[in-house]
Amino acid sequence: MFTFLASEAARDLRRAGRVGLSAILLITLSLAALGCFWLLSVNLDQAVSQWRERVRVVAYLREEPRPAAVDDFVARVQALEGVQRVRFVSRAEALSVLKRSLGTQASVVDQLPRNPLPASIEVTPTPAAATPDGTRGLSQRLAALPEVDEVQGGAEWVESLAQWQRLFELTGLGVGAVLALAAILTVTTATTLVLHARRDEMEIMRLVGATEVVIRLPVLLQGMAQGLLGAAVALVALIAAHTVVAPRVEPLLTLTLGLQRAVFLSPPQMVLLLTGGALLGALGGLLAKGRAYA
Amino acid sequence: MISLHHVGKTFGGGPARHTALSDVSFTVEKGEFAVLHGPSGAGKTTLLRLLYRDEVPSEGDIEVAGFDVPALRRRRIPKLRRSIGIVFQDAKLLGGRTVFENIAFVLRVIGTPRREITPRAFAALKAVGLSARAQAYPTQLSQGEAQRASLARAIAKSPLLLLADEPTGNLDEEMAGEILEVIRDIWQQGTTVLLATHQAALAAVLRRRTLWLREGRLVKDEG
Repeated sequence: MFTFLASEAARDLRRAGRVGLSAILLITLSLAALGCFWLLSVNLDQAVSQWRERVRVVAYLREEPRPAAVDDFVARVQALEGVQRVRFVSRAEALSVLKRSLGTQASVVDQLPRNPLPASIEVTPTPAAATPDGTRGLSQRLAALPEVDEVQGGAEWVESLAQWQRLFELTGLGVGAVLALAAILTVTTATTLVLHARRDEMEIMRLVGATEVVIRLPVLLQGMAQGLLGAAVALVALIAAHTVVAPRVEPLLTLTLGLQRAVFLSPPQMVLLLTGGALLGALGGLLAKGRAYA
Repeated sequence: MISLHHVGKTFGGGPARHTALSDVSFTVEKGEFAVLHGPSGAGKTTLLRLLYRDEVPSEGDIEVAGFDVPALRRRRIPKLRRSIGIVFQDAKLLGGRTVFENIAFVLRVIGTPRREITPRAFAALKAVGLSARAQAYPTQLSQGEAQRASLARAIAKSPLLLLADEPTGNLDEEMAGEILEVIRDIWQQGTTVLLATHQAALAAVLRRRTLWLREGRLVKDEG
């Protein structure tokens, strides 16, 4: 029976003609737009999580503690609220890091009369504390320690990146919603036309004793098929665009956001996009059905 | 097979109120061939529509093929209709499908197993003498052939009851005679038939029990 209903739905889809095609095109456009913003959001989200993991607060010390006192000091810092990990950086280690970063210019450091760098501790906040408020609180607690001279670092800029990500997500949803509404209306129109063309058929079906499910299911399937087709075309377009654009923008992403590669939607996200398309189409079919039967 | 008790049907309300049927009672036994005769507007079509639950009576009881028709729940209506074959004055064939496909379509939508569809459709076409036109489209058929295709579609699902609403109304005398022959054959195979017509001559030719309907009332039950 399902094969028959599906073949009836396919027949209806052919009957919908240009209007049906427009509906598929609109669903493609709305889901492609939604997908574009989704891709941006997914990549920014990746960058945000990556940078959240890298949030550090550095406390510079007034004096380097004696080697025997280092462990005790680190333990005291470790015991503070919001601290996940503490690493002590001695003055000598700081200088050696500076030399390494200067590369061929490292000899400049040797000209210095004495090591100007202070000892420090690099504090990794717990995931819960890796927020602007969390790192602010942690900085205050570190600054209150008598050994600490100055505190630097925080999560403000990571948060502003996260805000951008949310903005992209919301804009995507807004644009997608407007286009989706247009797509639903077009599917509704296409399906209403099909229903008018099917009037006689439906009358016969009722008279001979077909159940309402058998009469109405092809309409729903036809809408779903339009939605699914539109979503599939949108997905193929997104994959093609990603394949072409990603290699060109990846150097820029690495430089600005620290992302090694531009990621694409995950398989569950792709399934969600396709399901979304099918649901859009089904909704259009349902609305048309209501309109026609009213 | 059919039983009506004090059935009435009114449409609208207030000054627009129209009584289509009033206090109609009769029974048609299983295997019987009855003619419902009356002029246009007598209430024949309304009565048939009450039988296949396209309308609900305003009063009275109706029983068809064991179904208490007015009390039927919506989802049970298809069951009633599967036991009834209906033909109209216009054949109501689906334009985009061949004669065979018109019949197969009906069998499919009522859930007939796929392997049974072709043999049953061809058996129905054979019964109405239209096997040779199975692949013709409705526009390629004469009015008589179209009506025979409509009859084939009605009997393909092996109904217990055939309701024919002015089946010869659009046909000339010769074609009307052919259609009546086909209906008579269907009845002789055991199907109960109720045929509505405004043609007095037709009722006379058939020489079957005739229910006379005038202005919504059953005025005579003859034969």
